[in-house]
Amino acid sequence: MDAAGKRAEYADARFVRTQSELLSTRNGAVDQADSQDSEGIGVRVRVGGSWGFAAVRGTDKRGAEAALERALAVAAAQPPSRGAALAEEPPAVGSYESPAERDPFEVPLEDKLAVLWAADALLRTEPEVAVTHARFQAVRVHKLFASTDGALCEQVLTECGGGLAAVAVDGEESQIRSFPTSHGGHMEQTGYERFLLLDLAGEAPRVSAEAAALVRAPACPSETTTLILAGEQLGSQLHESVGHAVELDRVLGREASYAGTSFVPSDGIGKLRFGSEHVNVTADATHPGGLGSYRWDDEGVEGRSMPIVRDGVLAGFLSSRETAAEIGLDRSGGCMRADGFARQPIVRMTNVSLEPGDAGTLADLVADTERGLLIDTNRSWSIDDRRLHFQFEGEAGWEIHNGEVGRLVRNPSYAGVTPRFWAGCDAVCSASEWQLSALLDCGKGEPGQTTHVSHGSAPARFRDVEVGVA
Amino acid sequence: MAAAPEGEALAHVTHERSLLLRFAGNRPTQATAIDDVTVELAVLVDGHLGRAATNETDAQSLSACADRALLAAEAAAATAAPTTHPGFPPGPPPRPHRGHDPDTAALDPARGGAALATAFAAAERHKLEAHGVWTVAEEERAVATSAGGALDRTTDALMKVICIGPGGRSGYASRVGVAASAIEPEPLTERAAAKALAPGTPAELPPGEYPVVMESRAVGSLLELLGSTALNGLAYAEGRGALAGRLGERVAAPAINLSDSPQHHATLPRAFDAEGTPKQPMPLIQDGVAQAVVHDLRSGALAGAASTGHALAPGGIPEGPQPYNLVLTGGGARDVEELCAPIERGVYVTRFWYENVVRPKETLVTAVTRDGTFLIEDGRVTQPLRDLRLTDSVLRILSGVQDLGAGQELASQAEFYGRRFAHGVVCPALRAGAVRFTDTTG
Repeated sequence: MDAAGKRAEYADARFVRTQSELLSTRNGAVDQADSQDSEGIGVRVRVGGSWGFAAVRGTDKRGAEAALERALAVAAAQPPSRGAALAEEPPAVGSYESPAERDPFEVPLEDKLAVLWAADALLRTEPEVAVTHARFQAVRVHKLFASTDGALCEQVLTECGGGLAAVAVDGEESQIRSFPTSHGGHMEQTGYERFLLLDLAGEAPRVSAEAAALVRAPACPSETTTLILAGEQLGSQLHESVGHAVELDRVLGREASYAGTSFVPSDGIGKLRFGSEHVNVTADATHPGGLGSYRWDDEGVEGRSMPIVRDGVLAGFLSSRETAAEIGLDRSGGCMRADGFARQPIVRMTNVSLEPGDAGTLADLVADTERGLLIDTNRSWSIDDRRLHFQFEGEAGWEIHNGEVGRLVRNPSYAGVTPRFWAGCDAVCSASEWQLSALLDCGKGEPGQTTHVSHGSAPARFRDVEVGVA
Repeated sequence: MAAAPEGEALAHVTHERSLLLRFAGNRPTQATAIDDVTVELAVLVDGHLGRAATNETDAQSLSACADRALLAAEAAAATAAPTTHPGFPPGPPPRPHRGHDPDTAALDPARGGAALATAFAAAERHKLEAHGVWTVAEEERAVATSAGGALDRTTDALMKVICIGPGGRSGYASRVGVAASAIEPEPLTERAAAKALAPGTPAELPPGEYPVVMESRAVGSLLELLGSTALNGLAYAEGRGALAGRLGERVAAPAINLSDSPQHHATLPRAFDAEGTPKQPMPLIQDGVAQAVVHDLRSGALAGAASTGHALAPGGIPEGPQPYNLVLTGGGARDVEELCAPIERGVYVTRFWYENVVRPKETLVTAVTRDGTFLIEDGRVTQPLRDLRLTDSVLRILSGVQDLGAGQELASQAEFYGRRFAHGVVCPALRAGAVRFTDTTG
């Protein structure tokens, strides 16, 4: 940092060691028995308002010096920039380790495979089920961060979890059912104990039966109706239409070449109506177990809880030191995250969650709904580059008639426009129903970065939604 | 490797050196230089696969990595589950290609800086903002088994420019290839600017079916989705793919000739896949009739076929193999104007965004248009259109193709998640008869 401080307006360096293990079964055989280990240093500098970033593997001093030289050369080669000053931040100093009762990397492979194998066998109970999966995953990231502002901090974050899926095929029809979430299963920032709590074997027969039932189920009818979203599907809705829309780099046009911009204006705090008065969204980097939790972000800003939407009105942004300063905020929101040592930090979601309401349990909410559709697990998603017009399809839908859950329907899709959709939210279940769902494949940035995030929510009801659109 | 029984261990090594400069609003925003290696070791014990990867290449780290792979394979073997893995058989030597440009491999940041400055100046002349990326890379890939090894060295270069006007209207243009010298920032920016500046107020089309002219970038993204679903040998072998039971049937218009051609002059060539299987040209759809799907060693074994050289990791990935050198043969239309000529009222699409598979067995996908969507009236582009959401089957769209452009272009998503793996689809623009749009989004 001493060398960098003499040659750059600002510089930081991150050492990151990432360790991961992925075990999975497919149709009763081990499909993946994989481990990955990588380490290296990423150096970021700011010269003349332009950023340069260079990453090298390993930990030796010569490599770090080479990365600094490369980052300086890259920054200097670009046209001059008029970047804003960075928002002030007290230097991050200290260390942190996320809690884990049982280290998932210390559990014998045979024990983990035995859990998966037992669950996989219980998925293969329906004749229509052609493909079964059971999955375990653990990730540990060890980071050291230092900056020319005097920061020096260390943190170790451990994630663990897993999931199930069954694919049923019947002639031209193919349907998938997953537990507890699709697209890789559920993870939390915790130890092996969370994987065991999933009780994959206990859930497998139901998952298999629902996959088989789906290929025979009627298609979701096309209509405008009441929609109840729960679990992962509500998490995905939050992620795509709220979380990404309030990333300040997008709002300021920095992501226009790839991820897109946002319908949210940079001066919208306190003015933009995002939804009904039932909509209260918080970005919380301190929530225990959340995949978007940390003590410091990847530019040394302490993670914290921030209001994003209050009583339906925009209350905050996800931001960095640079973007916060650009719109006159006092401090960064502490949302800079990088995918390993070889990517520079960009504005990312922490745990973006819908606060619970007072509508009781999911059963209470269904009982209070005359007619509608319930979706809890995501299969497909797409949204435009301003985060306005979206289309989702769940794995399974259940019709609601006269306050009761009715028949299962396949291909339950719906579409909407973000503020109009959230304006139609007229009930959110109570705190007893609130839980985290994981999203393991959030992509953003160039070169591409994948991150893990969590979204907390209790089931919520939305009026006048177009369903059966795909 | 030398100690492993023949066919029971494989090393796949990738060395990435890359430089990527991003810009937004006529100024540089981020710049990333990467120098990193991934060593993947795959070990078979009684037909059960264990894998481990590291980016450390000292003897101790590699030995620890090999121990982890062996331990994983032994744990998998201890389940005594049935396995069909055929091992890693030695293959014929790969064919050389012309996919490496030493000049590009220099990764010169000054060249990138100059490209950005040129794009900014061109955009400012039109009172537009330029956003985009300039990137170059050298990738070295090696595979080794106890029987020997092979090395493949490639480069890639890409620039994309999105010009945005004060009213938010945008236009897109990109160029990708093996050599950075082929990228011309000024004409690229002018092409993007012309779309952003196209006269007229954006019209709105109600949802429905319309004839469409798609530029190669839009065609390429739909074909990539076809590659991951219908042409995926694992989905085929498991009966959940769109071509399961349909090889030999007509699945597209007679004008559709789609192949995987790893040595095509316009593609980003590759010599072999992640299992060391040499890449060969293979027809996938000929005259509209489905011919083949692509395989890695595992999916090939499941389907009773040989690997076609499409493994994305040693032992395959759970999603299955995919073709990454797709080439769609061109047709007779001189240019996009000629493709538009027969259309009374239709849609002109520059590119799609947020493409996602809705139902793989139907090749049903959804995506929104972006950065240059126009109304075609009486045979010509007349005014900008508000963007639209497409929700349709890729095979259905290909069945409705009426004509294709004579020229082909390499279209690439250039997303570069994980270890860089540059790829694209060589394809022309085309005209399709009735494409289903389900919403207006712009």
